[in-house]
Parts: sequence; structure tokens; C-alpha cells
Amino acid sequence: MELQLHRMDYLQVAVTSQKTMKLLPASGRRATQKVVVGDQDGVVTCFGIKKNEAVPVFKTLPGQKIARLELGGALGTVQEKIFVAAGSEVRGFTKRGKPFLSFETNLTESIRAMHISGSDLFLCASYIYNHYCDCKDQHYFLSGDKISDVLCLPVERLERITPVLACQDRVLRVLQGSSLMYEVDVPGPPSILALNNGNGGESGEELLYGTSDGKIGLIHIAMNTPIPKWEIPNEKKRGGILCIDSFDIIGDGVKDMLIGRDDGTVEVYGYDSANEPVLQYDHSLTESITSIQGGCVGKDGYDEIVLSTYSGWVTGLTTEPIHKEAGPGQELKMSQDMQNKIASLRSELEQLQFKVLQERDRYQHSSQSVTAVSAVPVFSINDKFTLNQDDASYSLILEVQMAIDNVLIQSDVPVDLLDVDKNSAVVSFSGCDNEPNGNFLLATYRCQANTTRLELKIRSIEGQYGTLQAYITPRIQPKTCQVRQYQIKPLSLHQRAHAIDQNRPMNTVSLTGQFSFSDMHSWVVFCLPEVPEKTPVGENVTFYFKNTFLETQLECTYRKGEGLFKSDNISTISILKDVLSKEATKRKINLNISYDINEESVGHTLKLIHPKLEYQLLLAKKVQLIDALKELQVHEGNTDFLIPEYRSILEEAEKLQEEYKKQPAHLERLYGMITDLFIDKFKFKGTNVKTKVPLLLEILDNYEQDALMAFFETAQ
Amino acid sequence: MQTSLSNPNAVYWYPSNHPSVLQPTNSRGPGFIMLVPIFTLKLNHKINPRMVSVGRYDGVHPCLTAATQAGKVFIHNPHSRSQRVSAQRLVQSSQDSDVSLLNINQNVSCLTAGVFDPRVGYDSLIVGTQTNLLAYDVHNNSDLFYKEIVDGANAVVLGSLGDITSPLAVIGGNCALQGFDCSGNDLFWTVTGDNVRSLALCDFDGDEKKELLVGSEDFDIRVFKEDEIVAEMSETETITALCPMYGSRFGYALSNGTVGVYDRTARYWRIKSKNLAMSIHAFDLNSDGVCELITGWSNGKIDARSDRTGEVIFKDNFCSSVAGVVEGDYRMDGKTQLICCSIDGEVRGYLPTSQEAAGSLMDTSVEQELVRELSQKKQNLLLELKNYQENSKQAESRISQSETDGQMGVIPANTQLQTALSVSLGSETQNAHVELSISTSNDTIIRAVLIFAEGIFEGESHVVHPSTQHLSGLVRVPISPPKDVPVDLHIKAFVGYKSSVQFHVFELTRQLPRFSMYVLSNPSSAPETSSYVTFTTSERLQRVVLWLNQNFLLPEDAEIQNAPFQISFTSLRDGGTLLLSMKASGEISLRTDDMDLAGDIIQSLASFLAIEDLAVEADFPKYFDQLRKVLVQVDESHSVHQKLTADMADQSNLIRSMLVQAEDARLMRDMKNMKKRYNELYDLNRDLINRYKIRCNNHAELLNNLKCVNQAIQRAGRLRVGKPKVQVITACRDAIRSNNINALFRIMRVGATPS
Repeated sequence: MELQLHRMDYLQVAVTSQKTMKLLPASGRRATQKVVVGDQDGVVTCFGIKKNEAVPVFKTLPGQKIARLELGGALGTVQEKIFVAAGSEVRGFTKRGKPFLSFETNLTESIRAMHISGSDLFLCASYIYNHYCDCKDQHYFLSGDKISDVLCLPVERLERITPVLACQDRVLRVLQGSSLMYEVDVPGPPSILALNNGNGGESGEELLYGTSDGKIGLIHIAMNTPIPKWEIPNEKKRGGILCIDSFDIIGDGVKDMLIGRDDGTVEVYGYDSANEPVLQYDHSLTESITSIQGGCVGKDGYDEIVLSTYSGWVTGLTTEPIHKEAGPGQELKMSQDMQNKIASLRSELEQLQFKVLQERDRYQHSSQSVTAVSAVPVFSINDKFTLNQDDASYSLILEVQMAIDNVLIQSDVPVDLLDVDKNSAVVSFSGCDNEPNGNFLLATYRCQANTTRLELKIRSIEGQYGTLQAYITPRIQPKTCQVRQYQIKPLSLHQRAHAIDQNRPMNTVSLTGQFSFSDMHSWVVFCLPEVPEKTPVGENVTFYFKNTFLETQLECTYRKGEGLFKSDNISTISILKDVLSKEATKRKINLNISYDINEESVGHTLKLIHPKLEYQLLLAKKVQLIDALKELQVHEGNTDFLIPEYRSILEEAEKLQEEYKKQPAHLERLYGMITDLFIDKFKFKGTNVKTKVPLLLEILDNYEQDALMAFFETAQ
Repeated sequence: MQTSLSNPNAVYWYPSNHPSVLQPTNSRGPGFIMLVPIFTLKLNHKINPRMVSVGRYDGVHPCLTAATQAGKVFIHNPHSRSQRVSAQRLVQSSQDSDVSLLNINQNVSCLTAGVFDPRVGYDSLIVGTQTNLLAYDVHNNSDLFYKEIVDGANAVVLGSLGDITSPLAVIGGNCALQGFDCSGNDLFWTVTGDNVRSLALCDFDGDEKKELLVGSEDFDIRVFKEDEIVAEMSETETITALCPMYGSRFGYALSNGTVGVYDRTARYWRIKSKNLAMSIHAFDLNSDGVCELITGWSNGKIDARSDRTGEVIFKDNFCSSVAGVVEGDYRMDGKTQLICCSIDGEVRGYLPTSQEAAGSLMDTSVEQELVRELSQKKQNLLLELKNYQENSKQAESRISQSETDGQMGVIPANTQLQTALSVSLGSETQNAHVELSISTSNDTIIRAVLIFAEGIFEGESHVVHPSTQHLSGLVRVPISPPKDVPVDLHIKAFVGYKSSVQFHVFELTRQLPRFSMYVLSNPSSAPETSSYVTFTTSERLQRVVLWLNQNFLLPEDAEIQNAPFQISFTSLRDGGTLLLSMKASGEISLRTDDMDLAGDIIQSLASFLAIEDLAVEADFPKYFDQLRKVLVQVDESHSVHQKLTADMADQSNLIRSMLVQAEDARLMRDMKNMKKRYNELYDLNRDLINRYKIRCNNHAELLNNLKCVNQAIQRAGRLRVGKPKVQVITACRDAIRSNNINALFRIMRVGATPS
């Protein structure tokens, strides 16, 4: 059955964080539910819908920004008490808005995630997890990387408390009391956890997770070991997952999975006979979906998906048809409602406009005064700067509550800005005089009216590091702009991995010297992405990485006074050596650097590159042929005369072109990395082979694996 | 003195008219309509962009006609399954029976269809290439005419022009415009400033007669009333498409993604996209009696925009770039459809909404949209209000602290931004340029400056972002406008403190005068040039001085009371001098070697003084010498061309006989001889290819030179205004036709002798 949903906007509040909107359970005779939402102004708003109008139930006073909103209540009863986490405080409200709890935790940081089960309260700040029972401290855990979400498997079903933390380092940490029970590796940095089916599935131990790179998975958290069930990859390259809910919106008696993403996509997955999820419906909004829940809000008898967006819209996607089958009279009435709504909005606008004009005058007037200052409050920006695994490029997503007027992108390292289809802003590159000002990229994006979200793609080169800055100017008076900085790290194309293949030929560089553990850690943070800023606990630590472009690997192990880096890619080692010695010199620390180069590793890396290079060359060749072949086809009328190879090119023409378009400059990047490899190999031998590079490029142009290998062997 | 602008109020409250005139709007208008294509075709042929037309070649059945790869034109005729036989040009496609292919054997550069010969009552097809123009009668499968066009045909339009009775096929090539009637007579000829890229016929001045609109690569839209230029509009990029809307209104598209509508010389609206507009067309899609501007984009989007506001009333998407947008009654049911084609050969037809349906289409989703928009507005106002409240709160709390908080970007409220334009003579590392200096009035710093302006930077914007060490309250921006046009600089400066993460954005606009790239110099020290233009005006001296002050960047306003006076400038671009003098008799003379500059000055002065007709006397000895050489080269190229063509004919005969000999040898099993013949053939072929390359080079050179000649005529025209201008152009053309070079130069010097 095809699902048809219609969008209904209910209300707009201030900017919302992830997981801050819930539907209160229906009570009494009424079947429609109330919506409760907390925003970054610290206001909790509860409202119901009557005749398409939002009718407020209660609204609290502004305060610190609300990071989470959950419902709770004694186990076994209706979960209708409202809990919000704001700053380091947890507050509780009844469904009528009466405060009954104000719990000031002893956390020094703001609460980032919260889960409630009966009288148990699970809170997480950046790295710290705390478990309270009846507001009394019970357990404590320090995580190795930032925690993005927390959940507890249903206590009433399992009769044990099993909290699960979603951590930035691509790991779910399953706890018991204050200690770690085990870790579960997931394919991306998890951003959200949810119980399967809303109750943990049949066993009560089934856990759904969503990652910030758009993947979804189901894991059975058994007593001793995790059992992965299924995983949905992000093939369509949609946004990261921000919220998950289970609700039977299709109406087949099985709860469907509702997904909200940070690119504004809403998805509904049903389950097939093998219990594998199947996409049933998707809808695109223009901004991040921060919370999602299924229920019935707008009209009795019609289920809907209620969601809140970053800019604070609470919107329903309802099964209620817009055009009723009833007589035309009714439809007229509906639009009458609408007209009233529009009229009242307009008059409200007029009043506001008047007030704003007055204030504007006052503000202008202040510019005459000598003592007055102009201070415009900081507006909030939702930004994300992440490495895409599949094309080894960074994507920068900027989202502002107001419409964006323009964005200036500045970089002090050479990077390429790529075109993104979704992005409709007019881009203009400005010439850079990098001599006195050190600019390598200056580009302006002038946005279309109503653009609140902008997506950019950036390609970096390993070894070249610095800062990328974005100046964002929203379309609001008084005009201000805010700058955001993003580090392009020396090994920018590396990504954390769970393990590496120890059988590869490895090169190592080891450092010894008078440096502390935290010194070393800060250098690693400086060099590599996805490393927690906080120095890990313990005496030593090991991180694994893989290069998203070449699939080479890197192992970092370090402790006080000692660091060991192992990689099968000589270039990686060379970059690390250069950057680390430079950083140490900056801090006047004397380093002893020794390295051990494995000659085999170069051949091994070339072998890793070989299939990619060959594929790209073949693709380029095929794409080149397409037009000519098509012309022949038109000329001859059919393709029977062609050899099968050419015929298959014609058949796959569209696919090939698509692929070719998707990977601009892929070949050039590969060439660049082979050249680096070549230079680095001989650099460690103490010879400078820069003069031989043209020769190398010549060989690459007529690529043959053996010839290239031989060149690497013989060149001196 | 530096002109400065320091209006305390203008600082913050600069009305937001920055390039918003160029605002990309995707906001749906209130009349947004939903349409589904009523037919979709998948033709198995690629379609070259902008080369699509619909013609009724038998007077009844509309046929979609488009240029495709390999120098072919296809005609899609779904209505009359023809029993036509293949003749010399027209070949039935073996792939599908509805499509016939027309072999042009050269890359097609433009194409149109329409009534060419009013007597026959059916449409003809006109195909232009870089060297030829073919008018073709598809119905009878015969040529109407086939002409060699030296200037090439970049664009073609078919229709009646001005008072010329028979329909003309007007083609635009390298700086030249040419019009042919159906028998191939050359009835219209004129020149224009640069290579023509787009043409349209439109009743520009409301006299019920069509004027010719010409868009060219020098960013100008020119309007020709027959061969007289009646209007010139400067745009910011090459004009790639023009289309008449209704009355004097017309749409245009530029190569930087801009699309807009003009009414006569006034621009109604324009929008800019990061994609390119491939094709534009006027069509009434919502049946309100007024045509909308339909645009097909390079990303496959089709949108219809209201002619008045530019609001989108309809959009749809193709998988690949749009190639053309046309209209026709393709279903033969008496209703005209909008037909859109993609480069991959996908064709969709849309029927306009019927009048009754239009009302109910204002469905709830549109109302929802409106509510959302109003709420967004409300939210924006609330936020602004909040900004003021917070601001006054901050102000109160700050008095006690009296320190500047860098983070939030708190700045004194009386901060002002001052701008000044001056001419910098440059240094060893930097060329001479116009300098815009922007400074704050106190200890605040300028973090970055964004300047949005059209036509003077590589893109639409220029950014100055000093490194952290070099931050200060003063930023100097070098500007070197490539052309002498007045430009509005929309400046945005980010003002705050060194550690700020949030900055105040100061927005203001400065105008760069037209001749800002000329610096005042000492008349006595200026080298004498032999080139000059002189003319007499009855205008008062003061008016001329006013014009000087407005159009040049003078260090201080010139105050000259009495004629005669003399003023001299040096060009920042090439160091050339410009000497301007006026005698008491009202005779103004310009001395410069740059004929373009002289033309620009005369046009600017004439429009400022509202001079309608102006005849001048001019001499540009250096330029004329060059031109003389070019003319000699043209003759040479022509003779080389003829010789090469004859050679080629000889050689192709040789090939023919050689081939016969080789095949004979093969049949006789005389392998040795066959091999020899084929080797010879191979050599000959190589030879032919080499000669072809020579021919190509020769042709390219010829084209270049012809362009020079056309430009010279255009430049000679631009020294005059009104009637004398038209007369000079026509007289020059005649002189070239009769190969009377001396007459040509005489005309350029003293103007056309009134006959």
C-alpha cells in the first residue's frame, strides 16, 4: 500500500535541539494527543490542536537552552511526566505544566543526553556518564570519546539496568553499574539510540542506532555479547540520523520505523517477511529534523508523524486527506478556517512591524551617542564538518534559524570547493593574493531567498593543513555575521577504524623525548581527525585509522615520553614525521625521531592503488568513447556490427557517465598520491627525486602496473 | 581631495537593495500551479542546445526539428507516416520511422523554422553553420538557397523586420548581421560591436513594426530599427538568448546564469542561478492572457516565471540539461502546448491550465505555503525585536563594565564606515589601478570586505580578507575595471575586534564613474598624438564640465569658467593619453589613439547633453594603417582560399582514380601493385588532411580579419550619433562591397557624404 501523507505546520518555537519534542499519551475521552516541545530559549511549550489551530496548554519561562526532553513516570503507569535537561539541571513538569522537580546535578558541564526510566535518571555530559536513582548518585563512568546519546534497556522487562552509551569513536558502550561490560563496533559515529519497536523488540534487548553519516542498524544487546541483526547503508548519500521512532503509520499492525535526518529527509521503513527494513515512504523538508514521533494530534482518527525542525517548526505529516470526499461545502469551510488564520497572522505582522520600526529608530538614534554600544546577540548556527568515506571529501553543512544572506568561505590551505547539486546558492570565487594575507581560497555564496541550510563540499590534500573559515551573514537586521572555524588536519583523509590488518608490511616512526602523555596526545589531535580532545585515561593508548581514499592504515600507540606510529603508506609516515617535529620544535621539546622503512610497503601501497587507478583509467577511456559510439549507432541504425565490449559500453553509457561525473579529479588525486609516495620513498633514503617527477607522470599516462613498479624500484 | 561618504545612518540602515535586484528567488508565487506533461517522448537522438524548432513543413503537421550530433538535423514527424523516399539530403532514420535525418555535413550552429515564402503557405527550415546558410524546403525536399556566409551564423531568426515586406532570415555572425529573403537576396546588412550570440524580433518601440534585438559577446543588447541602432543596453555577460514576450517586453539570458525581462530599455526584473539558462521562451502557461517567461536550465530544470515579478509559477525537472523550449500544437487538437526538450532527446509537452481549473488550483497546499511564509516573517520580526532588546540590555549592563567584549562583537554605536575612491599609479609589483579605501572611525577593525559588483571582477564578488597579523581599521581594495562602464559597488564590511566571532556587517554602495581608469595629467607634458576627433556643440561649457566631473575620478571637482580649456588624462591600462579640449566656438576635440575610447566618450557625452545627431571629423592614422594591412590580408586570404579549394578538387579526383586503380589491382590479384596504390592513397590522404589544416588556419585568419573590418566600421559608427552614424555604417559597407578602400577611409574620417 502506498502511503500518502500531507504536511501540516502547527507551530513555531525557537531553535530546537535533538530529541526535544514528545507527544503526551492521550488521556480521557479524547483521542488526540498533546505535543510538548522544549527549545533553545529554555521554554517548554505544550499545545493541542483544535480546528487546525494550535491551542496552548502551558508555556514555561525562558531559561537555559534545553538539550533534551523526555517523558517519564513510575514504571508500569502512563508515562506522562515531562522532564527537561537544561544546562546542568533537570526539571520536571506535570502534563498541566506544574513544576514538581528541579534537580541541580553536580555536573560541571552541560547535560548532553538524558534517559529516564521510573525513578532512574541517566545523564551524560561530554565524556561523563552519571546514573541517579531518586536524585541520588549511583554510578559513574568516564567514556573514551564524546557521548552523543544514552539509553537504558527496558528495566521492567529485563529486571536489570543495562545502560548503553553512543560514543563518537564509532562504539556503543554497554555498561553494568560503573563499569564497562563490552563495546559494540558500529559503522559510523552513532548519533542516536532507540529501542526497537519502542520496547526493545521481542527480547527487550534490541537496540536501534543511527549514525551521523546516515546509517541505521539494529543490534541485539545480549547479556554477554552483541549480535548485529541488520544495517541500512546510506546509499543515497542522505543526511545523518537525528531521530528514530517506532509507530504503525502504514496501518498494517506492525510498527514501522520513522527516521528523521539532518538534511530534512523523513523516512518510513516497514518490515518485509524476513524482518528486514524496507523503505516505504520519504519526504523532504528543507531543514534538520530534530525529533520525530508517531501519534495522533491534528484530527481524531487520523494517524500522523509529528516532527520538530531545527528552526523550531512543529509539523505533522498526516494521513488525513486534504481533499475530503465529502461535499464541496465542507471544503469551503476548511479554507474559511485557513483564511481566518491568515488574516490574524497578517494583523499580528502589522503590529510587529510597527513595533520593529520604532525599535529600529531607537537603535539608529543610539548611533549618535558617544557612549552607547551596539551589541547584537549571537545567533545560533548548526554546523557539521565531516569526512565522507566514499569520495574522501569533507562536507560542510551550515544551518541557521533565519534565512542566510551570504556565506564567505576563506581558507589558508589549498582546498577545492566542489559543486553540490542540492546547493542552489550563487557561488563566486574571488582572486587570492596569498602573499601578504595567506589566503588560498576566497569564495562567496549568495543564497536564494528562504535558504536556511547550506551544504558545501571541500576536497583537501593530505600534508597540507590549516584552517577553513566560514563567515555566515543571515538576512536579519541589524546585520551581523558570525565566523566558524574548521581545522584541516595534516592527515585529513584518515578516519578512525576499529582494527587494522597486522599482516601488511609496515613502516614505523618512533619518537622518544621529554614530553608528557598529554603533549603527545595534543599532537595526535593536531594531526588526525576523530580523536577526542581530552587526554585519555590510563598510561598509554592506541588508535587505529584508515585512509578513506587509499585504504592504507595507521596505528598510533603512545605514552609518556614515547610514541610509535605504524603505517603501510610511506607518505603517511613522512607527513607525521614532518608535522610532529615541527610541533615539538614549536614547544621547544627535544625529540628523538627514528624510523624504520619497509621497502616492501611501497610495492604494497602501489598494489592497493592499482585496481583503483586501472578502474579510473578504464572508466575515462570508456566515457571518452561513448559519444563516438553513439554517433556510429545513429549512423548505422543498430549496434550489431560492434564488438561486444563496445556494445556493452553503449548499454551502460548512462551509468558510466554518472559515475564519471561523480568522481571529478579522482584520477588527478591518485596521480598526486603516487607522486607523493615516490618523493617520500626517496626522501627517507636521503635523495631528492623531484626532477624525476615528469618521468613518473609520463609513465602514469601510459599506465602499466609493472612499468610503474619497476620505475619505483630503479629510480635513484 | 578624496570624495567620502559618511552618513551615520547609512551605516546600518542601508536599504537592502544590494544585488538583491539580482536576487535568486525560488519563492513560489501565490499563483503556483501544478502541471503534468500531457505527452512525453523519448527520441533516440541527442539534441544540440538552443537548436530546436517546430515547423509545419507541409502546412499542416507540426514537426519537431532539432540539430543533433555529427552535423545532422532530425525532423520528428509523428503525424504523417511518410512514404518519402530518401533523396540527397533527407534520410529516413533506420532506428525509428517517425524521425528523418537531414545531413548537413557540417556542425550546425543555429536553426529555425517558419514561414519564409508567404506564397507557398508552409514552413521552411533554415540551418546555419559556421560557413554556410541553408534554406530548405522539407516538403519538396529541395534547397531554397544555399549561401556561403563568411562571417558565420551563430544565431538566426526568421520574420519580418521593419518596413521590409518579405520575411527575412536574419543571421548574426562575427560582428555582422545579414538578412536574406526566400530567394536568397541579401536585403539587410549591418555591423555590431562583437560576435552575435542571440537574436530576436520584437516590437520595441510600439510602432507595430518589428525591431531586431541583438545580443553579443561584448555584453550589449542592441536594438536595430532596420539598420539604425535605436537603443543599447549594457549587461554583465555575454547574452546567450533573447525572446520577445509581448509588446515591447522581452526576455534575455546571460552566460553567467542570469535570466530577466526588459520593457524597452528598463529592466523589469532579473534573477541569477548557479546553473545556466539554456533556452528561454514566452508562453502563457496559466491562461491569464499574459505570457510567462519559460526557462530551461542546464541542470534540467524548467521553470515558468511571471513576466512582472519573476516569481516562479511552475517548475519541472528533466534528467539532463534542457536543450530547447518551443511551442506547437503537437497533438493536432487545436491547443498549443509548451514543448520542452532535453539534450538526451527527452521531449515533454505541457498544456496550459484551463481557465476554470485555475481557481481551484489555489488548493490548501498553497495556503499552507502562505501561512508558512507569514510565520517566517513573523519569526524574523520577533528575532529582530529580540536583537534590539538584547542590545539595549547589553548597553545598560555595559556602562558599569565599560569594556569591549570581543567575542560578541560589541562595537561603539557611533562607529562609522568611510569609503574613498582614488586613482593609484601603482608600483613595481602592482599595476596602476583605482583604489577603494574603506576605514572605520574608531579602534574597531575590518575583518573582511566583500564587494559585489557586476562585470569588473572574475566572478560577481571580490573579497579582501587580511591575515590576522595585518588586521586594521583600514582596507584598501585595488579595482581595475576592464571596460569603461559605470559600476555600482555593493560593499559589505565585517567590523568588530580582533578576537570577535561575530561582526557587524556594514553595507553601502558606491558608484564607480565610467572613466575611472583615466588619471588626470599635465596637458603640456602629454605626448602629442596625431589621432583626433572633432565636433561642434552649442552646449554651454558648464554642462561639459559637469559631465567631466561625473564621469571621471578627478581629485577635486574641476572648476573651469571659460573656454578655451584643455584637460588631459593618462590611461591606467596602457598609459595612452587622452586630451580633451574645447574652444570658445564650441568646438570640442579629443586626441587619443584609442578609437574605442573616443567612441565611448562621444556616446557618453552625447547622451549626457542629449544630442540626437552628431557628425564628427576624425582621423586615426595608426589604426587606419593597421586596417589597411588587414584589408590586404583579407584579399590574400581570399585568393589562398580559392587556390586551396581548386587544389582540393584536383586531389579528390586523384584519389578517385587511385582508388579505382587499387581496387582493380586487388581484383587482378596483383597484390604488389595494390599495396603500392594503397600506400600512395594513404600518403595522398595525409596530404589532404594537412591541406585541410592549412585551409582551416587560413579560414580562421580570414574570419579574424573580417571581424577586424567589421569592428572598424562599428567603431567609425560609434564616433557619430544618430543619422550620421547610420549613414557612415551603410557607406562603409558600400565602399567595402565596391572594394574602394580609399573611399572607406574617407568615410571613416569625414563621415558619409550626403548624397
